[in-house]
This record gives sequence, structure tokens and C-alpha cells, in this order.
Amino acid sequence: MNLRSRQLAFACTAAVVAVIGTGAFAEDRVVKIAGFNGKTGVGRSFGLNAEAAMFAAADTINRSGGVKLGDGARGRIEVTFYDDRCNAEEGISVIRRVTSGDAVVAIGPGCSNVAEPLYGILQKKVGDTSDSGLQMPVFTDGAIKVGLAKISEWAFRNVPNEQEMYKALFAWLRAQHPDLHTVYGGVEEDFAHSRSTWYAVMKERAKEAGFEVKGETKWLLADTNFATQVRELKAAKADIVALAAHPFTACGVLKEMRRQSVKPKVIVGLTSASSLETLRGCAAQAEGTYIPTSYAPVTKEAAAAAEATARFNGSADLHSMGAWENVFIIKQVIESEAVLAKPDTVAADRRKIRDGLAKLKETDGLLGKSVRTPDREAIKPFVFVQASAGQWKVAHTPTAR
Amino acid sequence: MSALELAQAVFDGLLFGATYAVIGIGFTLIFGVMHKINMAYAAASLAGAYAALLILLFVQAPALVVFLLAGVAGGVIGLVIYVCCFRFMPLAAPLAPLMATIGMLMLIDEIIVHATEGMPLPYPALFDNVMLQLGEFTLRGDLLLVFGVSIACMALMLLLLYRTRLGLATRAVAQQPVAAQLCGVRLTRVNALTFLLTGLFGGIAGAMIGASVGTLSPLLILPVTIKGLIVTVIGGLGSIPGAIVAGLLVGACENLFQFLRGVTERDIYVMLLLFVFLVFRPGGIFAPGRGRD
Amino acid sequence: MDFYFGLAQTLGVHTLLGLSVYIVLLTGQLTLAQAGFAAIGAYVAGMLTVIAGWHIVPALAAGSLATSLVACAVAFPALRVRGLMLAVATIAFGEAVRLFFFNFDYQVWKGDIQVGPLGGEGFRQIRFFPENGWSTLEVMLFVWACVALVMAALWWTDRSRAGAVLRAVGEDEVAAQSVGVNLTAVKVSAMTASGAIAGLGGGLYAHYTTHIEHANFTLGLATFAIAYPILGGLSSVFGTLAAVVFIQGFLVEGLRFLGDWRNLLFGALIVLAMNLRPRGLLDAATAARLKRLLTGPGGAP
Repeated sequence: MNLRSRQLAFACTAAVVAVIGTGAFAEDRVVKIAGFNGKTGVGRSFGLNAEAAMFAAADTINRSGGVKLGDGARGRIEVTFYDDRCNAEEGISVIRRVTSGDAVVAIGPGCSNVAEPLYGILQKKVGDTSDSGLQMPVFTDGAIKVGLAKISEWAFRNVPNEQEMYKALFAWLRAQHPDLHTVYGGVEEDFAHSRSTWYAVMKERAKEAGFEVKGETKWLLADTNFATQVRELKAAKADIVALAAHPFTACGVLKEMRRQSVKPKVIVGLTSASSLETLRGCAAQAEGTYIPTSYAPVTKEAAAAAEATARFNGSADLHSMGAWENVFIIKQVIESEAVLAKPDTVAADRRKIRDGLAKLKETDGLLGKSVRTPDREAIKPFVFVQASAGQWKVAHTPTAR
Repeated sequence: MSALELAQAVFDGLLFGATYAVIGIGFTLIFGVMHKINMAYAAASLAGAYAALLILLFVQAPALVVFLLAGVAGGVIGLVIYVCCFRFMPLAAPLAPLMATIGMLMLIDEIIVHATEGMPLPYPALFDNVMLQLGEFTLRGDLLLVFGVSIACMALMLLLLYRTRLGLATRAVAQQPVAAQLCGVRLTRVNALTFLLTGLFGGIAGAMIGASVGTLSPLLILPVTIKGLIVTVIGGLGSIPGAIVAGLLVGACENLFQFLRGVTERDIYVMLLLFVFLVFRPGGIFAPGRGRD
Repeated sequence: MDFYFGLAQTLGVHTLLGLSVYIVLLTGQLTLAQAGFAAIGAYVAGMLTVIAGWHIVPALAAGSLATSLVACAVAFPALRVRGLMLAVATIAFGEAVRLFFFNFDYQVWKGDIQVGPLGGEGFRQIRFFPENGWSTLEVMLFVWACVALVMAALWWTDRSRAGAVLRAVGEDEVAAQSVGVNLTAVKVSAMTASGAIAGLGGGLYAHYTTHIEHANFTLGLATFAIAYPILGGLSSVFGTLAAVVFIQGFLVEGLRFLGDWRNLLFGALIVLAMNLRPRGLLDAATAARLKRLLTGPGGAP
């Protein structure tokens, strides 16, 4: 090789190395996201699935080039997941730990009894210097209890809006079954979510749809004997039975109903019960139950999300897919708000993300576009699923608004 | 709110009380006869029931086999509890085994949650859809079976305690450990065997509870522990027939209170019932002769 | 740092719960009523700051006082029994209190939201600290001021005749009676003090978590409360503190890096700890050794 070609070769190699070098350098920017949920007790499956969904979402984003940061660089998303054991004190400890670190947003919690205290220690109004609450955007995927995001301007939720879902479900049932007139409820009284869902949501929406609500029977979360309650249910002779209960007691009630030969024409269940738990516990007795849910693998995106989550050993349901969606929404906000993800811009980045989330009017969900409300909640598209032969099959997809 | 409905509610409760009775007899044996506080007993019994489900992964076993396996598993777990929480504890530190069993309770709870991901599992049952008609009243067939099992367990337990050498040794060790040792009773062997046996009964009780409820869930552990303690105290510490009667009584009263005052206040009255017993009859329904705790 | 201050707050409140059991354990009784006492303190103090607008200090004092009155009233019937029966009686009491709050509704409008206890849904918006601009550090110092006060009181009690009387009842009731100790008076006083301390702890708990509900005050909380003095040893109040640091600091927060294994290790390590040190982390021998170490050689041989 003569001198000219050697110089050329050297220059080419240097150029290539420089490009690779700066490329690697640019790839070094990390956007830290904290996830947290309960991985202990009866809610363990929710925590495991949310964790898997978040890791899967981050992995999918990173593989397709990561996130575009404010100064043009690309960053990759790194998720750190914490177990709050569905316990208020630990949830608060986790959010303090996360706030002291360099994560720019926290996705969680899953339990409503953690969300409420946790939102309580956040700064109530942005910019209020007399309020010493934490300044950390918290984007919740799981805690469903009605009306929590109002508590703080740093709290955002992307959870199903049960008012809309049950309104649509009862209206649909009225249209599908004009011969059915009466509804009777079964309520888990000592759990905030199930209790408020019956009284504030199911009962009202059923009446609104034209049904006569004959009353309700009550039990507690850990009850095991439903003989009296099912007798009351039987005596009411209602066409539709609505169970605002989680899988353990729902299965207990359904088994007792079988025993006492109580066969309502339609059974409606609680959103949280539209998961594997119910099918594992009492698939036979739950046959035919309708539940509105914000996740079913009916679109390309939904199926892809489920597959990705399965690769991380999680299963897709309305809660874990909320976590998946949240990671993608954060990516969108990071890009639109020019987040920098540098070690010295953490507080500013958090504020940008908060403002970005507050500005959003709609977001991309796995079943279609979700609407964001002024009080930081979401109205997500939903479908009605029905327990059929040991699986949740989509019974009806309401037309988009 | 007719008298018929009230009577039916009480009947339903009485029958469900059989599940409290069946776990109560194990509790009263441990707490009352052996004078050991084993807070992990209910957890161990339910863990035995869970462990028996493992066989269903391999073969379609009939319910009876699962129940017996639950007993075996319960026995093994009982032995483990003895070794971890009682074997190496000095007699002069009575609180240490209590705390160790509480740690054991947490450990067993977590193992169950990890193994099942916290989800409820259906449990095989016998006669679970059989409803008997007794005049105006309907009775659950499977609960009658549970009642039968508790009577059988009681008979077996009384036989063991009062007609065998092991039973004699157990009672001797419970009353006067030093004197018993002086008479040649091997303390650790007797204790280990009694923990094994109470674990066995506990495992079967756990299976009965699983069968009556229809599903097993970690949610059951704490309520069953509390019910077991209440039944033991009302029935009289150490009185095995007392535990059965108390179990049925608590079950009936629960449903009675629920019928009269609603489900949210029900347990307050159960606690008040306990308090009344403690104040007016601290020895329990069948207060055994000694009565000193 | 904020995280460590927050953790210190938790340690402080749990130390109070542990100390409330400590004083009763000294008299040889096992009490699992702390959850109930904490609940009463929490709801009363919370209602006073949120609904009546009181400052936190009188609210906590009132909560503590209310709880001690209830404790005193409950002590008389409960102390007719001993040992396991007392444990069950206190469990029953704790559950009854929890269920009472499960059924208790008292709502008032505050601005655009309703506040106050709402039965099963809990008591939200107990935001005295954030609303008054208390930083995490300030709250932590406040909590520890309360803890230091209680620990000092108990330490001084231990050194006085009262402490000797308490321990005498704990060691041997018959012997104590025969030297003229009024057993009922001692046991009821211990239970009353226990109620006061746990009520204070509960009031602080309500304010730093900002939301309480009946499910916070279950047997689980009472179990943790007795774990601290048993694990820590009954020879000194510092034993309880050491146990709180071990359980909440090490087992709960410190082992987080173990991920899933943390929960499994929790119970296992407690079993191990009790097997290795059955009289507690800070039993009499260790306490004496530490004292020698701290006061230096040169003490009497």
C-alpha cells in the first residue's frame, strides 16, 4: 500500500472509531424510572405482572432506539422495581427512597390503600412553597379506588374508569336482554375498592340503565361462609346478580350459589376479577360472568404487549397493561417536554414530566386512545369479557366515542 | 326477618362451626395440654393442605387421598416447627418460642404466597354439592362430613392421650417436665412425637377447611388462627370436647350476630362474647379440674 | 437524606409501639392490644387536627390521654386472666376496636372535599405536617423528641422503686404479693401506661402517613409491637430500640436489595434470632458488658 492509501485507510478507521465512540457515548444516557407494587400477600401476582410489564416495555423501547432527549441525544430507559408489600408505611418509604435518588418518575402503586397515603405526602399544589410535600410525579397503573388523583397535583392515574365501564355494560345488558329487569348486588364491605364500586358505581349505573336494584347483601374480604347471604340473594329472585368482590370471596359466593341452586340469568363481576385468579379458583362456577375490562388481546398492540410481558414471565391483564402503557406515555412526555436526564437536572426533569402529564388530553392505550381528564384521571377504552370454558373471551367491543 | 330464617341462619352457622371445631381441637391440645404457645399452628395446618395439592400435579388423586396427604404434610411441618422453635429453647425464656413461632408463621405465609403467587386455589371436596332437607331446613352435606371428621379426631385424640403410653408421657411432660425426665421419659422424643401428631390432625383440619370453603388462600391464615384461639379459650384450655362444642357455638353465634346486626358488626359481638366468657367463666365451657394457666 | 429521615420517623413510631408492650411485659403479661390502642390514638389525634383544627401537640396529648383511659377501663376485666387467656383477650379487644373504626363515620366539609373517618374507606387528608410546612427532618426530630421523652421516662422508672415493683410482679406474683405489692394496681398501671404510649405512637402514625384505615391496625401490627421487646430483650429499653432498628431498618429496608428473597428471609431470620439469643438481642449479660464497655475499665471488678 502506498502512503496515500495508508493515510486514507487511517483516516477512514479514525472516522469510524469516532462515530462508534460518540455513538456509544450518546447511548450512555439513562432515564431512570422507578416502579413499585405489592409483591407479597394475595396481591403478589399483580406486583409480579406489573414488574414484568414495565421491564418488557422498557426493553421494547430500548430495542427500537430508546428515547429522544432534550439535547438531541438518545437515552435508554432503566426500570428499578420496588416491593411495597401493599403496606402504606412501606409505600411511603419507597417513594421517599425514590425521591432521594435520581429517578424522574415513579410508576405505581398497585394497592389503593397505599396510593391514598402516598398521594397525601406529595406536594398538594405545584409551586406552593409553604407545602413541604414531595415533588415527584407519581403515575399510577393499579390503584383503582375512585377519585384519588385529586389529592395532589403530582399524582396521575391511568386506571380504568369504572363509572364509564359499568354505565356502558348495564346499558348494553339492557339492550341485549330486554326481558331482564332486576339487579341484586353482593358487596365486599371491608375493602375500599369493592365497596365504593358497588355503592357509587354499579348500583347507580344499573338504575340509570333502567334496572330495578332490589338491594344488596354483604360480606367481608376474608369471609368463608356465605350461606345467609346467598339465601338473601335467592329470596330476591333478581335477574342479574352483580358481585363487587375479589376472586376469593367471589368464588366462595358462586360455589354457594351452585349449592343452593341459585341461577341468575346474568352475573356481572368486578373489574379486578377479570384476571387469571378467578379462572384458577372457580372457572366452572364463574362460567358466563360478564366483566368490563380495559385489557383484552384484541388489537395488534395489545397482543404484542402480552407477548413481550410473557417473555419477562408476567401475564397481561388490565393492571399490568396499565403499567406497560404508562412507560410508553412517559416516553412520549419525555420527548415532548425535552427532558434532559442528566445527573444535575433531576428536579427540573421531574417538574417537566409532571407538567407534560398534566398537559396531555389523550394518550395511546393498547385498545385505542384514552382520554385524560382535568383531575388527572383517565377514561380508557374498554371491552366486555365473558368467562367461557376457562378463559376470558371478548363478548362485546363498545364502539369508540 | 322470620323465626324460620333466623333458625336457618343459626343452623348454617352451627354447621360451619364444624370447621372451627376441627382446628380447635388441635389448638387446645397444643395450648392446653402441652402448654406450648404455637402461633404457627393454623398456618402449618393450611400449609399441609396446600402441600397435599402437589400430588394433583402428577396424578388425578381422589379427594380422600389428598386429605390424608394433607395430614402427612402437616405432621412433617409440625416436626419442623418443633425443631426450629422449641427444641433448642431454654425453659427459662418462655417468650422466645412464642416469638419464634410468630416468625415461623410469617415464613410459612410467605412460602405459600411465593408458591401460589397469592392466588386462591380450588380444593377437592367430598359431598360439596349435597344439600340435605330436614323439614323446613336445608343442611350442607359436606359440613356434616367435617363434623364427623372432628368427632373422629376427638375420639382418636382422647384415645391417644388417655390410653397410650405416649399420651401418658405427653401429659407427664406437660405437667412436670423434670419429674417426667426423672421417670425416664425422653423429653425431646415425646415432644417431637406430639408435635408430629398434632401436626397430623392439623393437616387434616386444614384440608377440611379447604374443602368446606372450596378454595385455599393465604387470606385464611390469620382468621383461622384467631378463630382457633377464640375456640380454645371458650371451650376451655385443654378440653377436647370443649373445643368441639365451642367451635359449633362460635359458628352459630357468628351467623346469629350477622343476621341480627349485619356483617360489619358481626365480629365485634363475637369478641364481646369472648370477653364475657373470660370475665365470667375464664376456665371455658368445660373447665378442666386444675384451671391454673 | 430525605429517605433516611423518613425511615427514622418509622423507626421512632415503631419504637413507641414496642415500648408500650415493654412496660406490660415487665409485669409478666403478654398483651396484643397495641393495635387497638394505636388505632384510638390515631383516630382521636387525627380528628382533632383535621376537624377541630388543633395544633399537633395538644392533639397527640389528647389522643394519648383518651387511649390511656380506655386502656385503664379494659385492664380491669382483662387482668382477671393471665398468660394465653390474656393474650387472647387482648387480641379480641384489638379486633373489637378495629371493627369499631370500620363502622365509624364522621364526615365534615373542608373546602371542596369531605374529611373525617369514613368507616371502611378510612380517614384521609391528615395533612398537618405538609400543610404547615414541616420538613421531613423537622417531623423526624419531633417524633424522636417524643420517643426520647418516653424512653427517658421508662429508663427513670426502671431505676426507681416503681421499676423494681414492676419487675417483681413479673418475676413472681406470689412473692410480690407477700411483700405487700398490690398486684391489680401494678398491672392496671402498666396497662394504662401502655395505652398512653401506644396512643401517642398511633397519633404520630396517623400524621406521617396522612391516611389511616381500620386495616392498618390489625393483629399484624400488634405482632410487630410485641416482637420488638421480645427480640430486644427485657433488661433495658435500648433492647427494644435495637430490635426496631434490626427489624424495620435491616430486615425491611436494608434487605431490599435481595428482592423477592427479603420476604422469605424475614420470618426465617426471626426464628434464627430467637434460637441464637432466646433472651433477646440485649439480654442482661450483653447489657452489662456494654455498660462496662461504655463506662470504661476502672469500674468495680
